[in-house]
Amino acid sequence: MEPLTWTGSLAVLTPILWTAAAAFVLLAAIRLIAGLFLASGDTVTQPDGTLSMTRGPLETLDLATRWAFYVILGVLAAFLVGGAVLGLGAGIIGGMAQRLIPVWIALALVIGVSLTFRRRLGLYGKLFGSTIGSVGFALVMFWVFAAFFGALDMIVTHDPLAQSGAMKNEVPGTFYTKMIGDIDEGAYPYYLLGGDNLGRDVFSRMIAGALVVVQIAPMATAFAFMVGITLGLPAAYYGGRLDTTLTFLANLILAFPVILLFYLLVTPEIVATGIPTYMAAVMFVFPIVFFTILLNSRYHTRPKLRLPLLIIVIGVLGWLYLSLISKRFGVLEVLPRWLDLFDIPGGILVVFVSVVFVNSPTVFRIVRGLGLDIKTRDYVAAAQTRGEGPWYIMLWELLPNARGPLIVDFCLRVGYTTILLGTLGFFGLGLPPESPDWGSTINDGRKLLAIYPHPALAPALALLSLVLGLNLLADGLREESLRD
Amino acid sequence: MSTEPPILEIENLSISFFTRLREIPAVMDFSCAVRAGEAMGLVGESGCGKSTVALGVMRDLGVNGRITSGSVKFKGRDMASMSDAELRAIRGREIAMIYQEPMASLNPAMKVGRQLMEVPLIHENIAKKEARARALEVLTDVKLPDPERIMDAYPHQLSGGQQQRIVIAMALMSKPSLLILDEPTTALDVTVEAAVVELVKDLGRKYGTSMLFISHNLGLVLETCDRLCVMYSGEAVETGNIADVFDKMRNPYTQALFRSIPLPGADKNLKPLVAIPGNFPLPHERPPGCNFGPRCDYFQDGLCDAQSIPMFDVEGQSRHETRCLRHDEIDWSRQEIRAIETEKTEIGDPILRMEDLKKYYEVNASSLFKGGDKRVVKANESLSFEARESETLAIVGESGCGKSTFAKVLMGLETATDGTITLDNQSIGDTPIQDRDTDTVADVQMVFQNPFDTLNPSMTVGRQIMRALEIFKIGGTEAARREKMLDLLDLVKLPREFADRMPRQLSGGQKQRVGIARAFAGGARIVVADEPVSALDVSVQAAVADLLMEIQRTQKTTLLFISHDLSIVRYLSDRVMVMYLGHVVEIGDTNDVFAPPYHPYTEALLSAVPIADTRVEKKHIVLEGDVPSAMNPPSGCPFQTRCRWKSEVPGDLCEREVPPMVRFGAEGQHQIKCHLTREKLEGMEPVITMAAE
Repeated sequence: MEPLTWTGSLAVLTPILWTAAAAFVLLAAIRLIAGLFLASGDTVTQPDGTLSMTRGPLETLDLATRWAFYVILGVLAAFLVGGAVLGLGAGIIGGMAQRLIPVWIALALVIGVSLTFRRRLGLYGKLFGSTIGSVGFALVMFWVFAAFFGALDMIVTHDPLAQSGAMKNEVPGTFYTKMIGDIDEGAYPYYLLGGDNLGRDVFSRMIAGALVVVQIAPMATAFAFMVGITLGLPAAYYGGRLDTTLTFLANLILAFPVILLFYLLVTPEIVATGIPTYMAAVMFVFPIVFFTILLNSRYHTRPKLRLPLLIIVIGVLGWLYLSLISKRFGVLEVLPRWLDLFDIPGGILVVFVSVVFVNSPTVFRIVRGLGLDIKTRDYVAAAQTRGEGPWYIMLWELLPNARGPLIVDFCLRVGYTTILLGTLGFFGLGLPPESPDWGSTINDGRKLLAIYPHPALAPALALLSLVLGLNLLADGLREESLRD
Repeated sequence: MSTEPPILEIENLSISFFTRLREIPAVMDFSCAVRAGEAMGLVGESGCGKSTVALGVMRDLGVNGRITSGSVKFKGRDMASMSDAELRAIRGREIAMIYQEPMASLNPAMKVGRQLMEVPLIHENIAKKEARARALEVLTDVKLPDPERIMDAYPHQLSGGQQQRIVIAMALMSKPSLLILDEPTTALDVTVEAAVVELVKDLGRKYGTSMLFISHNLGLVLETCDRLCVMYSGEAVETGNIADVFDKMRNPYTQALFRSIPLPGADKNLKPLVAIPGNFPLPHERPPGCNFGPRCDYFQDGLCDAQSIPMFDVEGQSRHETRCLRHDEIDWSRQEIRAIETEKTEIGDPILRMEDLKKYYEVNASSLFKGGDKRVVKANESLSFEARESETLAIVGESGCGKSTFAKVLMGLETATDGTITLDNQSIGDTPIQDRDTDTVADVQMVFQNPFDTLNPSMTVGRQIMRALEIFKIGGTEAARREKMLDLLDLVKLPREFADRMPRQLSGGQKQRVGIARAFAGGARIVVADEPVSALDVSVQAAVADLLMEIQRTQKTTLLFISHDLSIVRYLSDRVMVMYLGHVVEIGDTNDVFAPPYHPYTEALLSAVPIADTRVEKKHIVLEGDVPSAMNPPSGCPFQTRCRWKSEVPGDLCEREVPPMVRFGAEGQHQIKCHLTREKLEGMEPVITMAAE
């Protein structure tokens, strides 16, 4: 069988794409140079009170550039839509677009619903007012849905761990064959993005890797935020010695070489002493402490509501916590087996611990800075004069009003964590060697990069687009939260 | 009248800001002329477009702003026809602008001298030496002590008043023909404000500069300007000579504005203020016809809302115009309308007593190493007074006088260093707030100054009041508390729908009302109101002040009213306590404090407060210098460094000893802390006199 081309029957569109792209680059360059010499058109106030610009040469150039850009977007959209319809008939891109149909539908639904109700959705709704934010949101959601439907086995074409000797380092679009044994009935006929050096499907591994990243990065960041907030608020509110001590500790951790820390944490001798587990035991306490204080400070005036609420929250969180830290044959085996909900693989626990450990000092400093500013507000004084406890003031008066910058930072930090996961994977730390996460796959592909770039390129582009999406999302959020 | 063209002539100026959604007209059909040497006042509430006019004159409207019609002529030349280079040459040289925040107009990273010299260096291309000489000369003109030293200082090393003088000096460096002052004294203390205003007036006279003086304070405009233009919602509604507009106003808005500000003679019981009903219209929700129509007492259906209204000349007066269709039908001499007389409240027994209260803060000389010499900030020094039930006690003083520290100690956020505070015979001075029982906490509550800061922006209004109820253990169930919360909203005259609104959906005045409702949630008996109206617009001030008075009448609350605005203090307080550098320098019934004998500081304070009444004659007393630092207070009498009576006291008594309280009045109610002899104090002349009518 012939290998697939990139665009298949849609190849007619390719010249249009290249022409448009060349025109766009050229026009943009001319516009840049012409802008130095030509003056822009005049702004005129129309009788109906609106403004309009008279058309000068610069405006014409702008218009042409914009149209070239629209053509590029149009052709790309045609590739995707046509691909989703034609499937493999439209080549590799068509095949991928068709596999990703569930993602497209989910994306369209989410964005459609959000746009319809954007006026009622607060900051999230306002996000769609900014192009940058919308693009970022779409990129991030693309990977979230890809991971989700990938986990439901709707996207991946082959088992991400299955190897085929015949497919070693084969280029994208190669027909699927096996050296030993027969091909399963109904197996996908191609390796869409080729095979890696062990003959595994790069496309499937990329989608499967998304799940690892989308699961771990936000969760680990959320834990880092819990720790940072729970320590940062009192440091800001009380100040004095507590503040000095905590800030010093944060600086100490920040000054520690991160990579060295990771290597230390995964060294078998250190794992055997249980240090990572103990660290996890300490760090994962923070969410429980956080939610308990949060609810107690709010509802201590209403004992009838508080008691059941706290019992439920502490019960559920406590059970999760104990399940999390307790591991069979591990250093901390606190729960009997029939109560232990799940075991976290040791590698992932280490990744969690390192990410939280590295990120929480920065979050701490941001929270502390915001807290120092907000605590001078009159509503904080008003809370003090009616005799509110310090934790109520910190968690209900300070924290909600610091949310804007914190949300933005959260998005950015998920991006950093994603890169950090990549780095960890690249160094082969933490996650098991066969893990399809993007960092590990890039590292695997690196060895033959000069000859076969595709096994490393696919996860690298995936990582790039997700982090870019998160950064754009953060930018959009920042821009929109400053408005109004 | 001269025939030469006015310095600045604005004709039918309209300015709009363009947003993604719509065009927002900020100024509409605005005309005025400033002649050579004339000072024009531009008065209006916030959002009325007065600053936009100034920016329009400077042609500095930003990306979104645009002059949509009309012209601005400077010395007969249309500014629209000027190129950017010509405009740059005019800005700063011919037209100079002084902004509200002095610190924001000075470059913090540059020495004052260099910033001053920059002006002529850029505009006139003169030698550095000459520029320096000019800077020194102007610094002397703005009456800054030791100009050489100041030239070498960074802005943050100077006090607010000094910074504003530098800004004025910078504006005068190139001897402009027009000076635009945008609320130049709003950020300053009253006595400093008085000095700066005096300076601006003198300099205007000396240099012959024309001025466009933007302010919300009618009293200040009366003191500085020759002519006045009142703005409302983007339009000029009345223009004329000061005397004409103040005494023979021909516009309902101007009239309503004057009725809502406390002038001498206003009295909370006999002649209360009249607040303007309704709210300021948003720029895109202006009513058809007259903008003031929906709030106007003289509104006539089918007339006022049927057409756009031009400016009319007022007959019989020169250069006096008004934007009112009915200006010649209305009986302008008619006195107050709708003012309701209320009964004076019975003042009850003392419930709060402070004796010899002291609050010192220790500041370490060096924070890195402990030990060394500790410095003590004496924030409060032997405060003694008592407050009675349903009494309003005003605490007056400038920033740094210890008002806020005193409030903190009373609330329990700080504990007293020495002395006692007794509430109902129970000592609370040493009890921090966390050790106070719920009743005590609920009894003493506070209303804050800044309406934009007083409510938590991320909680609904109702939730915030209900939280206070929860804390004060009022109402057993959620439903009961909600009912009580709605009652509280009724009490402060806010619609019940506001319960589910977020604070950002409320105006400043409405937020302040919520703040009051929250303070009264636990049935507070003592409410400390820290400048509760000073950040509000004049028309709203009256309404909020009256609300406080009304609640006081029904709840028999003791109100400790902290303020620096003596006009409002005179209007609503029963007794006044004047503080200076942590000391009480004078205390007594309002009438006694506002009449001789005065403490020298009270005298200066009274003279400094601008009063928007042409009949009032004031003695001019300008205090030199600034309030000394509390870290390093002067020896003896705290006021001795700025006192103009010091020479009347024999020897160096003022510098050696803190004066005793001298008692006046039948029961010794009126006390003054001064070394002056009783005869000298009693012989003082009144500062404010009403000219015979």
